[in-house]
Amino acid sequence: MRIPGFWTLVLIFAWTLLFVFLFIPLGTVLVASFIDKVGEPTLNNYITFIESTRLRRAFVNTLIIGFAGLGGALLLGTIMAFCLTRFEIAGSRFVSMMAILALVSPPFIGAYSWIVLFGAGGIFRTFLREFGINMPTIYGVSGILIVFSLKFYPFVYLLVSGALSNVNRSLEEAAEGLGLTPWQRTLKITFPMVLPALSAGGLLALIQAIADFGTPRLLGRGFNVLATEAFTLYSAEVGSNPSMATTISIILVLLSMFFVLVQRFFLRRNVYHGNLINKPIKIRLKGWKNALAHFAVYFIGLAGATPVIVSIIFSLRRTSGPVFQSGFALQSYERIIFGLGDVVRNSLTFSFSSVFLIVVIGTLIGALVARKTTLNTSLLDGALMIPFVMPGIVIGIAYITVFNTGPLVLTGTALIIILSIFIRRLPYTVRTTSSALRQIPPSMEEAAISLGYSPFQAFAKITVPLIVPGIIAGAMLSFITAINELSSSLVLYVGSTMTMPVRIYLLILDGDLGTAAALSSILLVLSAAAVYIAFRFLGRNEQALL
Amino acid sequence: MAYLTVTNATKRFGETVFALRDVSISVERGEFFTLLGPSGCGKTTLLRSIAGFHALTSGDIRVNGADLGRIPPHKRDIGMVFQDYAVFPHLSVFDNVAFGLKPRKIPADEIKKRVPDALESVHLTALAERLPAAMSGGQQQRIGLARAMVINPQLLLMDEPLSNLDAKLRIELREEIRDIQRKVGIATIYVTHDQEEALAISDRICVMSDGHVEQIGTPEEIYGDPQTQFVANFVGTINQLQRGPTLDGILETLGLSQADKSADKAAWSVRPEALVLSDLAPPASGEAVAEIEGTVQKYTYLGREAHLFLKTVLGEIVVHVANPARAIKHAHGETVSVQISKDALFGFDGAGKRIATGNTPAQGAA
Repeated sequence: MRIPGFWTLVLIFAWTLLFVFLFIPLGTVLVASFIDKVGEPTLNNYITFIESTRLRRAFVNTLIIGFAGLGGALLLGTIMAFCLTRFEIAGSRFVSMMAILALVSPPFIGAYSWIVLFGAGGIFRTFLREFGINMPTIYGVSGILIVFSLKFYPFVYLLVSGALSNVNRSLEEAAEGLGLTPWQRTLKITFPMVLPALSAGGLLALIQAIADFGTPRLLGRGFNVLATEAFTLYSAEVGSNPSMATTISIILVLLSMFFVLVQRFFLRRNVYHGNLINKPIKIRLKGWKNALAHFAVYFIGLAGATPVIVSIIFSLRRTSGPVFQSGFALQSYERIIFGLGDVVRNSLTFSFSSVFLIVVIGTLIGALVARKTTLNTSLLDGALMIPFVMPGIVIGIAYITVFNTGPLVLTGTALIIILSIFIRRLPYTVRTTSSALRQIPPSMEEAAISLGYSPFQAFAKITVPLIVPGIIAGAMLSFITAINELSSSLVLYVGSTMTMPVRIYLLILDGDLGTAAALSSILLVLSAAAVYIAFRFLGRNEQALL
Repeated sequence: MAYLTVTNATKRFGETVFALRDVSISVERGEFFTLLGPSGCGKTTLLRSIAGFHALTSGDIRVNGADLGRIPPHKRDIGMVFQDYAVFPHLSVFDNVAFGLKPRKIPADEIKKRVPDALESVHLTALAERLPAAMSGGQQQRIGLARAMVINPQLLLMDEPLSNLDAKLRIELREEIRDIQRKVGIATIYVTHDQEEALAISDRICVMSDGHVEQIGTPEEIYGDPQTQFVANFVGTINQLQRGPTLDGILETLGLSQADKSADKAAWSVRPEALVLSDLAPPASGEAVAEIEGTVQKYTYLGREAHLFLKTVLGEIVVHVANPARAIKHAHGETVSVQISKDALFGFDGAGKRIATGNTPAQGAA
């Protein structure tokens, strides 16, 4: 009823946006995957995909690292969540800060740091070789597994610890009273209660692992996955095959979508609403059990934060060209200031612009979805789930396919990078805004209206102040995603629109690890500042980071 | 002419769902008027239509003769208290109460006087500068009450304001609401599904069911002289008497056979406290009295009263005994006899309408 014309415009605008920047690019990729080099319709790309041993291996490898990352994240995340919610752990805030650091650090920093430590010329390997021990390098599937486990365990940890601390203790006590052993109790009562959180965390880890491009690219050494194949086929100077790249993109999207649907299907009934009359308490362990719990938690926390620590230390090391010397200096930062200022500037400009667009448009669409529930808005809400399962590399390839020619040419502009970040993060803001709005009872605005405020004034004076903290916090989280984004920018960048993650990636390939570390550290500081601001507005709500 | 009049109000959702059917009420200046009924009976719809949050399908609403129909809700000058309090969590208690004074362009120094007065009347003076988020439901509803009263609205609406509070606080706060309302003398419409609350607080009650008015009357009329089967069942508890030769005999004894036969499918019922155990009955006053026997199924002692559950030929019957002496505990299986007087019996016809018995004049019929 509030200025109906306005909300209709928002609805039309939202659909237009989705059509131009999501459906058309995705549709074009889909169509392109069915067209051969001379423009004839064909199934050859898919046939080739099935027949090519290399691509079949990439598909299997994608599943392997996906499930390896999932398994590792579940194991580490569950241990961490269980220990921190059920036992007294000294310095638990510090440990959970480590988990947050691991979460907000760019994914490829992990790969890079482990190369520094355990790569061919890595510090630890060199050190051990002096004792005659020749340990294997980190390259290959085992390295990817380690990086993914340590990178993605915070998803599981944050979700599961939230669920664990919401399990009503009376349930466990009741089971105890019925004669179940502690082990049976955990398996039969606690486990089913946290299963939704466990699988949601696992799903996030799985989808990110499948979509990740930087880690297998840097650590893979011949271990190819779909994301790297798509990139190679698209960007190789010799033997590039764009339509094959689009085929792989479609397969990647379908794979992610499949896992989302599987998780939803198996959990369609498992929703538990605990009452929190009897909150779980933390037990103080004694003796070796206590030592073991502390060791586990600190080991996981520190190992997860190792990339962060390594990149900060290495950014401060003295260098000569790309080679590290002994001692510390600020040379790497000097190189950034004098040579790479435009990269930092690009990253900041792109991130702030996309966050601005996300906040303004996301909030409007979120308000629309929450307040005007019709078939149309429900469809809109559903359509906004699509970017969630779109790997960055797919968005990149889709955008460059569509906006290279035709009515809207954006290739090589800053706008194309801003839009690619915008469309991927928009759903999160729409979701947080609409759920925040739904939590404000309609009687709030009605109270203001009955006191003499017009509907618009009531919205501005009551509803807006109540949702602004959530919007700011959401903006900060979008900022973290935006500034750390690698895979789509890598496809979309040109010399003048290079961003920090892209530059870091290229520096690591070139072996200039000092400068890469310094750039990574700047990214980290920016991300940490965003986390700090988000926590200031939301309270220390770690789950909001997901 | 009454202060507030609602005439032939009908509210239809979609084509077939009637939330209100042809409802007319009138409320006097300063009156405490309660809409009572089960959920879905239309009481909240009627209240929200008066507030302006719903538009009536047909019918009109007037305050002091002025038609409210075309006035948007924020210009109606009606104070409203909500079931979920609707206290603004980002404003202090003081600012919550002052919120409605600002659009009325009340000068700042007057706000500084009126708000503390309002807070004083709901006993919240000490909390004025605090944020309401951590406050109890009772305190939040006091804020809601002060906030609605302070603007001196022409009408005060309350939508189940006490239903989210615990039992003791509910009784405490309802007395306060009544006292404040009397002091200010503002016409108030109060919605509740709690019949005891309605009886305790109201000048007049309007019992509603399924979108229409069942009966409007004082609490005494509603409880003691229900005009429909629905009102008798909904307000208080009542024993339905099974038809049969025994009931016919009782009606004969009490001289009600004529009334019984004149109505279509008559049903008879009696309030538990209107039944008297024969051993406790006062000496006969010459008035006709019927007596039935029953076996005790259960005896529940509650201190100021006791409930006897009897099995009789008229069905299961509950008898409430006031001030039960400790000595008269009744054992399971014991046989007791119960007296029924003519006044105690309520008869209703097949349509649920009260049968005139000559003794209790039908008054305030809807």
